[in-house]
Amino acid sequence: MTPGEPLVRWDWVANHTGEIGLRIGEHLELTIIAVVLGLAIAFALAFAGLRLPHLYPPITAFAGILYTIPSLALFAFLVPYTGLSLLTAEIGLVSYTLLILVRNIVSGIRSVPSEVRDAALGMGYTPRAILWRIELPLALGVIFAGIRVATITTIGLVTVTALIGQGGLGYLILLGIQQFFSTPLIVGATLSVALAVAADGALVLVQRSLMPWTRVR
Amino acid sequence: MAETRGATVEFRSVTKRYGDTVAVDGLSFAVPAGRICVLVGPSGCGKTTSLRMVNRLIEPTSGEILIDGENVLQGDPTELRRRIGYVIQQTGLFPHQTVADNIATVPRLLGWPKERIGARVDELLTLIGLDVRMLRRYPAQLSGGERQRVGVARAMAARPPVMLMDEPFAAVDPIVRERLQNEFLRLQRDQGITVIFVTHDIDEAIKLGDRVAIMRAGKLVQYAPPGELLAHPADDFVARFVGSDRGLKRLSLLTVGGADIDPNFDRSRLDGAPVLSPSMTLRDALAAMLASESQTGKVMDGDRYLGALTLAKIGAMLRVETPA
Ligand SMILES: Nc1ncnc2c1ncn2[C@@H]1O[C@H](COP(=O)(O)OP(=O)(O)OP(=O)(O)O)[C@@H](O)[C@H]1O
Ligand SMILES: [Mg+2]
Repeated sequence: MTPGEPLVRWDWVANHTGEIGLRIGEHLELTIIAVVLGLAIAFALAFAGLRLPHLYPPITAFAGILYTIPSLALFAFLVPYTGLSLLTAEIGLVSYTLLILVRNIVSGIRSVPSEVRDAALGMGYTPRAILWRIELPLALGVIFAGIRVATITTIGLVTVTALIGQGGLGYLILLGIQQFFSTPLIVGATLSVALAVAADGALVLVQRSLMPWTRVR
Repeated sequence: MAETRGATVEFRSVTKRYGDTVAVDGLSFAVPAGRICVLVGPSGCGKTTSLRMVNRLIEPTSGEILIDGENVLQGDPTELRRRIGYVIQQTGLFPHQTVADNIATVPRLLGWPKERIGARVDELLTLIGLDVRMLRRYPAQLSGGERQRVGVARAMAARPPVMLMDEPFAAVDPIVRERLQNEFLRLQRDQGITVIFVTHDIDEAIKLGDRVAIMRAGKLVQYAPPGELLAHPADDFVARFVGSDRGLKRLSLLTVGGADIDPNFDRSRLDGAPVLSPSMTLRDALAAMLASESQTGKVMDGDRYLGALTLAKIGAMLRVETPA
């Protein structure tokens, strides 16, 4: 970094609004794909674990191992097979969402009071209808807590996917590091944090609108 | 309103085993249509297990249960449960649904048209004495007593011929419980539903039951109307269970009109005696006589003098026999 230069050169920011917007868009896209795919896979794994309880420990153990692999190591491992591609990025990102999502879906559903389940069954709900109309709505609070953590974590991790050429705000950070130029580095990092805060706020709003019964009293 | 007709329910040698534990042991009894049968007994004697076998939340190990002569074990359990009302102590109301949606549960499962469901929900709300503004509330916004009322309304919504109730009023305070009991009795008579009611409170059993089944360790010890239970307990266990004050309890089942009144008693000797009406319970009559320190009560049907009731006559009814 050149001595005497300001930390953020606003003229650079002003000249690169298009680029910055593009990187935010990429960042969001990578995040949304990862969380949505992660949720779909997590629901499948969670339902399997609920239906066949002996499968649940191995499922969480597997998701736990994925979660502990350092992201750089995972990408380095995948690149020979899937290349510097979106697929490589999403395999990594999705892997990191699974543990928290599966755990929260299962514990959310298990936390539904047994008398509620009993009453539903006793009045003639089918087990399938109990899952969709009673257990899942009541588990939403815990599931949303998981989605929020998964989303924030993913937004942070997406900054790493720039290393495999998938853009996002990580691209700006990388640019700053490579050119010894603090402005894009700081812009990229700050926007990534802002994106996480905004996404979390948006999820809270969605959750509230989906769970009107938690807004009373 | 009274288009619901209760069904008969019959247990035939019903047994439920869990491994070596026998939870219910050869239970046989019949409940006439439109009557309340109360299952009562100490904790763990098999009341809940017996109840839950009727709607097949528990499958009997052997024996059969008949509703209007049909074996419940044949056919689809889900379909069966939609024809049987079910109320539990913890209510099991759905926290994410409004009162209206909770009450509409079974009609919705049965696919009733919207207008019919709405009309039925409004009707039930009136029956259980809740305000229409409650319909939009969630269970968390109700008092314990209100929740129990909604639980009862929900169970009655599709006009089931049979209703199962497991300690429905146990979680509320005694004053609310008494009110709920009275309301429930009125509703049950009005709708003509057959009810199997579980409690471990013998006073509740005596008050609500047309028949009371006393259970002990999975077996039926005595099955009788409450008056007979108090007058002729089958054994020591029943006598102890109904309590040493069973004579007094029995008085609350008998009315002044049904007692031995002396019509020739000299009316002029009844100055200062409390006035009793024929519909009063003997227990209340006794209390009135004790309070005014009078040996007699003056029985009046409106303006008409019916005669005198003496403490001695009430005392005779207190001395119910002890089991052999
Ligand atoms: N799933 C089960 N497995 C093993 N034993 C059971 C099971 N359910 C009930 N039991 C046993 O069966 C017996 C009867 O239980 P039940 O719940 O019917 O009693 P209860 O009369 O309703 O008691 P309470 O008044 O305490 O509710 C008890 O001894 C209980 O331990
Ligand atoms: Mg019980």
